[in-house]
Amino acid sequence: MPGADKEADLTERIEAFLADLKRGGCGTGPIRGSGETARETTALLRKVTAQARWSSAGDLMEIIRKEGRRMTAAQPSETTVGNMVLRVLKIIREEYARSRGSSEETDQQESLHKLLTSGGLSDENFRQHYVHLKANVIEAINELLTELEGTTDNIAMQALEHIHSNEVIMTVGRSRTVEAFLKDAARKRKFHVIVAECAPFCQGHEMATNLSKASIETTVIADAAIFAVMSRVNKVIIGTQTVLANGGLRAVNGTHTVALAARHHSTPLIVCAPMFKLSPQFPNEEDTFHKFVSPHEVLPFTEGEILSKVNVHCPVFDYVPPELITLFISNIGGNAPSYIYRLMSELYHPEDHDL
Amino acid sequence: MGLVASRGGKQKKGNVTSEQEEEEQPLQAVLVADSFNRRFFPISKDQPRALLPLGNVAMIDYTLEFLTSTGVQETFVFCCWMSNKIKDHLLKSKWCRPTSPNVVHIITSDLYRSLGDVLRDVDAKNLVRNDFILVYGDVVSNIDVSQALQEHRHRRKVDKNISVMTMVFKESSPGHKSRCEEDDVIVAMDSKSKRVLHYQKTQGLKKLQFPMNIFQHGSDEFEIRHDLLDCHISICSPQVAELFTDNFDYQTRNDFVRGILVNEEILGNQIHLYVTQDGYGARVSNLQMYDSVSSDMVRRWVYPLTPEANFTDQQGQGCTHSRHNVYRGAEVSLGHGSQMEENVLIGRDTSIGANCHISNSVIGNNCTIGDNVVLDRAHMWNNVHISSNVEIHQSVVCDGAVVKEAVRLNKQCVLAYNVVIGPNLSLPEGTVVSMHHPEEEEEDDDDEFLSDDQEVGHSKDKTRQKAFNPAEVGPEGKGYIWKASMNDTEDEELAQCLWGLVLNPDPESDSESEASEESQDRSRSVSPEIDDVNAFQLEVLGTLQRGLEENIVCDNLVLEINSLKYAYNITLKEVMQILTRVVLEYPFQQQGTQLTTLQYTGSLLPLLKTWSPVFKNYIKRAQDHLDCLSAVEELFLEQDTHQTAMVKVLMKMYQLEILEEEAILKWFSTGATNDKSRQLRKNQGLQKFIQWLKEAEDESSEEGE
Repeated sequence: MPGADKEADLTERIEAFLADLKRGGCGTGPIRGSGETARETTALLRKVTAQARWSSAGDLMEIIRKEGRRMTAAQPSETTVGNMVLRVLKIIREEYARSRGSSEETDQQESLHKLLTSGGLSDENFRQHYVHLKANVIEAINELLTELEGTTDNIAMQALEHIHSNEVIMTVGRSRTVEAFLKDAARKRKFHVIVAECAPFCQGHEMATNLSKASIETTVIADAAIFAVMSRVNKVIIGTQTVLANGGLRAVNGTHTVALAARHHSTPLIVCAPMFKLSPQFPNEEDTFHKFVSPHEVLPFTEGEILSKVNVHCPVFDYVPPELITLFISNIGGNAPSYIYRLMSELYHPEDHDL
Repeated sequence: MGLVASRGGKQKKGNVTSEQEEEEQPLQAVLVADSFNRRFFPISKDQPRALLPLGNVAMIDYTLEFLTSTGVQETFVFCCWMSNKIKDHLLKSKWCRPTSPNVVHIITSDLYRSLGDVLRDVDAKNLVRNDFILVYGDVVSNIDVSQALQEHRHRRKVDKNISVMTMVFKESSPGHKSRCEEDDVIVAMDSKSKRVLHYQKTQGLKKLQFPMNIFQHGSDEFEIRHDLLDCHISICSPQVAELFTDNFDYQTRNDFVRGILVNEEILGNQIHLYVTQDGYGARVSNLQMYDSVSSDMVRRWVYPLTPEANFTDQQGQGCTHSRHNVYRGAEVSLGHGSQMEENVLIGRDTSIGANCHISNSVIGNNCTIGDNVVLDRAHMWNNVHISSNVEIHQSVVCDGAVVKEAVRLNKQCVLAYNVVIGPNLSLPEGTVVSMHHPEEEEEDDDDEFLSDDQEVGHSKDKTRQKAFNPAEVGPEGKGYIWKASMNDTEDEELAQCLWGLVLNPDPESDSESEASEESQDRSRSVSPEIDDVNAFQLEVLGTLQRGLEENIVCDNLVLEINSLKYAYNITLKEVMQILTRVVLEYPFQQQGTQLTTLQYTGSLLPLLKTWSPVFKNYIKRAQDHLDCLSAVEELFLEQDTHQTAMVKVLMKMYQLEILEEEAILKWFSTGATNDKSRQLRKNQGLQKFIQWLKEAEDESSEEGE
């Protein structure tokens, strides 16, 4: 039976993806960039849409939700996976609404009156069958994929608006987006970059190497020197792992230090974050917020006796509150932290926020 | 040594492998889900070791996850003890789902008695086609062995299959808490090629010996390392299985490694090692290791194999991780005022009462814990009931055990399955309580004990005169103490078996005991030497006697004495002294000590003549002459009644050209060290002899002119 075959193949791919996620990130951050994770997730969801058995949008959403729950549970710290699941769910809703004939706009605007009168959950049950729904959804997901492909470029394109000649720019750790951003600016402008090494993983070293290869004047500093150096810095440009619903960040360890130092010296702090990093999560959901990896990098296992006497922790992320951030640069332009809620409601459907 | 040349077998299979080698082979692994020892004994009587929970997950799951994450696609699980339970467990687990990337084959047999049997079976069934990973079912690791695998394959390609095995070691300095003394090894290796030259377990050894030939292999750099933790992960080539078949006396990997190293010249096989600095790998070989691996796991050293990752993918096993490494499963309830200090893992549906202090502990699923309980380094498995006011320190409490009010478990206690303890009792350090009677035969099956909670079980026990002792396990207790009924030596053994050697040894007492042992060693090492010398003396006497009786040629006597010299490890100097002594004492030996000086010389001088070739063989250098003379002097100092005979002996030896005049003169002038020997030199005969010698020398020198 080809159908059963396909399904087996599908589950196998999902399992492989889950296993990858679980093992992903042995200390030095994820093996692949979050952009890649986002693309892979979306591609996998497209496959699910194409190959799973479903007759109505409701069924499909149920399937996607189920898989989405498993994927997010596999690596809770990798929020892009969950974000992509939400995006796909939103796409299905939109396509269903379009097939039904009601325009997106009316659906989108939820007035207070409408909320009050709707009564319980949404009155739609997504049970109606539409022939073209599948094709439409897949097409919309393809569009999403193209959008994802272009995010880094879109962000990098805005670099010249923010980086001026002879500026001193500080960044922390390694972010693929920031790297592209700086390299793009370096094509036209000359500036100096100071990279905080971001111990214990020291991804900053890699970042500095890459930047200097692109003939950008680069200095690596220890994390302890961040505050001292900050007075000379014109602008801080950082990447992030997740943008939280309140406009705060979950970013690599040391970012909070940088942000506070920048605030003290009134240095603008710019965050390069593609839209797929926007997560409906709030920072108070502490269970999955932190990620602790093997303390090996902090105190090597070879140390011996001291290990039984001390507790060693190696957290990966910092929380940066929104008031420390000046500007977000995403693939659709620059936004203030206070505007994040609006973007969030555009990207995701409120009913999907918890899978 | 059952060393049979294995060329035939190798060639036969060699053809098959070489054909297939070109195409990419799936990576295979052999997982031995049996320890073949009784380290965990009262516990493993009810549950095979591979299924014992570590951080609420069966140990074998860690091993399988490790294998899968390194890219193993086919695993053969070999089980023996309680194979059904392991099989059930695996069939239910995610490894046997159709989507599993790692296909698990379960092979059971009651006939396996060692690792050797397993690998012989691997060979017999022709299971492995290419390099495979060999692990035990109790290895916990997150090491990425792909690098080691690559090196292994590269070596095999370059060196034409000479390297048969690559062992994976982790760097960790001595004294590390995750190092188990039983598994301590010392490894000599070639630093460039990473080849193992010498491999020795150091447990209980105070002295280590390295064969010289390992340093003569022509490489310019060697390392002798004691900072390696054996992860018990080895990458083997298919030849390993064949070698086990060929050498039926190989039981363990240790046998194998030593066998290969010893017979390297003959078979031309080599073993290499791979040392990893990051990554974690350890084998749970006893309870001490269980304790430290479990705490390492909770402290996230084995990331990403952490409790909250739920890598076994089981429903409801997930838990959350919060600060200070506190993990909570679903539906955990914590009473008012209870504290989970740090490094605590609590399974689902467990309820904890008020004012408890819990630190560094693992608590299983469905446990109930009363009020005011103190748990420190406790390992509690599933369905354990702890009443109020209990204190548990560094102990293991197995499934279904019940600890009643106000019980205190001191360090290293073990409560095996379904044991009941208390109330109001304090178990001394290292107590092991089990529902199985220590003297119970293996054949006594578990069945009756499964129903222990029922009255039937009780009455049965009572009729068999095996009632529980309330003094040991408390008024309401159920279970037998495993130490009490045994004598002391076995008792120690058991403690060793379960917990390994002493945990957290007090450094001072340790060094003291070491020192005392060393001094013992020294005294021991002196006494056997004396024994050797005495024995050698007797043997030489016997040899000379036989030589006389059977009229053996002196050359043969020399030969015999030489072989004795090697047998007793005697230096050349000692040989000479002993020989001199034996010869000079020979008349006393034969005819009693009451000989007159005349009789003595009469019987001795012919003997000297007969054995002069023997003497000449040993007395060559100037120092030898002096040594011989001092031996003569020593003897005559003892036998002071016969001192007059000394001149004659010396004279004879001079005439027989055993001794040279220069040596005698030198001895006479310088040899005197104490009064007695000075006295000896004043002997008239001796003075005359010396005088004569001097004159003779003058004459000869004159003649020379």
